[in-house]
Amino acid sequence: MKPILECRGLTKKYGSTFALYNLNIALERGQIIGLLGPNGSGKTTLIKLANGLLRPSGGQILINGSEPGVETKKIVSYLPDRNYLGKHMRVDEIMAYYNTFYDNFSLERASGMLDALSIDPRARLSSLSKGTLEKVQLILVMSREADLYILDEPIGGVDPAARDYILHTILTNYNENATVLISTHLISDIENVLDHVIFLKSGQLVLNASVDEIRTQHRKSVDALFREVFKC
Amino acid sequence: MLGKLLKFDLKYGMKVFILLHVIIVFASVLGRLIFLDPLSFSNPDGALVSQVVLFSSAIFFLLMAACFCTWLIIAFRFYRNLFTGEGYLSWTLPASGIQHLWAKIISGCIWYLLNCFIEAGCVLFLVSGSNVTEACSHIAPEVTAELGIPLSTFALVLFLLMLVSGPVSVIQTYFCVVIGQLFPAHRILGAVAAYFVSSFVIQILSFVLQMGTGLLPEAFFIAQTGSDTQFATYFFATIGFSCIMMFIIAIIQYCVIHYIMKEKINLL
Repeated sequence: MKPILECRGLTKKYGSTFALYNLNIALERGQIIGLLGPNGSGKTTLIKLANGLLRPSGGQILINGSEPGVETKKIVSYLPDRNYLGKHMRVDEIMAYYNTFYDNFSLERASGMLDALSIDPRARLSSLSKGTLEKVQLILVMSREADLYILDEPIGGVDPAARDYILHTILTNYNENATVLISTHLISDIENVLDHVIFLKSGQLVLNASVDEIRTQHRKSVDALFREVFKC
Repeated sequence: MLGKLLKFDLKYGMKVFILLHVIIVFASVLGRLIFLDPLSFSNPDGALVSQVVLFSSAIFFLLMAACFCTWLIIAFRFYRNLFTGEGYLSWTLPASGIQHLWAKIISGCIWYLLNCFIEAGCVLFLVSGSNVTEACSHIAPEVTAELGIPLSTFALVLFLLMLVSGPVSVIQTYFCVVIGQLFPAHRILGAVAAYFVSSFVIQILSFVLQMGTGLLPEAFFIAQTGSDTQFATYFFATIGFSCIMMFIIAIIQYCVIHYIMKEKINLL
């Protein structure tokens, strides 16, 4: 079976600066993978390349064996690190939007999660607090039956209670054959849910290992290893 | 997918568009009933001419404002939906860049053409009162003699030209926005610069081609001196030339947009 995400000599330059340089990785299915690294390490660039929002300067990125395009977008559910929803819309309108465009979107699941969080479907997105808006965004992304979920800083801007809800939502809403790629700085919060981690530094791969390997070989938590590798 | 994209594109800005055009329709009805219908053109004097000029100017600016706002809706939708935060959703929908482009071109043309029809309807309503048509019939022979064609034909040709220029204007707008997005730090400035530079190049090209084809007004009217239909001949020749120019430029600009949307999109 083809890897769900594969980078072959992937390079991305902004002007004369390399955001990613000759990256080679392959992500297997059915795992929750942490994409970790300090600011400017190339995490968001890699995620944008996987979603076809950026074009590589060199090399290739493949999703299920294909370059990012219409077919890969059907199987990738992406949560950007910013608000990406039109604020003029209401919650039910954005749900209808997702339902229209994504065949694998479950309106029932999304409505259930909104109910559980007591979010009014008639509320305008512009009237929601930052935390609630992030929850709505996550609900939309996790209500899809995707093969690859790419979550860029899903817990960065919310309080600890909301973080727990978000992690719970991620864990309970993906099927076991799907892969979840999570980029975050808050390693200690998500460490327990990760199966595998990728460390990026200055656009290059530093570590690509399972959490079990890190614990047995390095005898450290992922958080402790991260602090050691990226010590300032 | 194109149909779905089109549906949401048309939905966007609908309220503003409707509100705007309800205002101009309302203003036209009021203008006709309160101002134009009571006018008598049997003894035209300076005061009447001043009033008509003022009223026509006000209506002209109102129609231009509606046209400009429609253009803003089209341009803003394209920019906001594809090149701001919303682009993160738009570009990750299972649709190609070219489908996005065509949805925007079709929806833009629909808005533009609707605007043209509503504005033309307003003008037609304003000038269709019996007092105005009667006044027009008195000056019609002179106008026809000057133009070489009846006033109604002249107006119809201008209306058709306005319809043709709609899609061209939409493509030119998208061309400028897309060029602007090649400069991620200064997208709007880049789009404005692209507008001025492309307009300047088109003007120069048009001037050179008009010189080459003898369509400059001075050269044309010297060559046609004495002809009764010289204005009509010049008018139709110029319109034909403009249409061909617009068509060629629109194709070139579309090709550029197509290439950038397919190969050069970088949402930073």
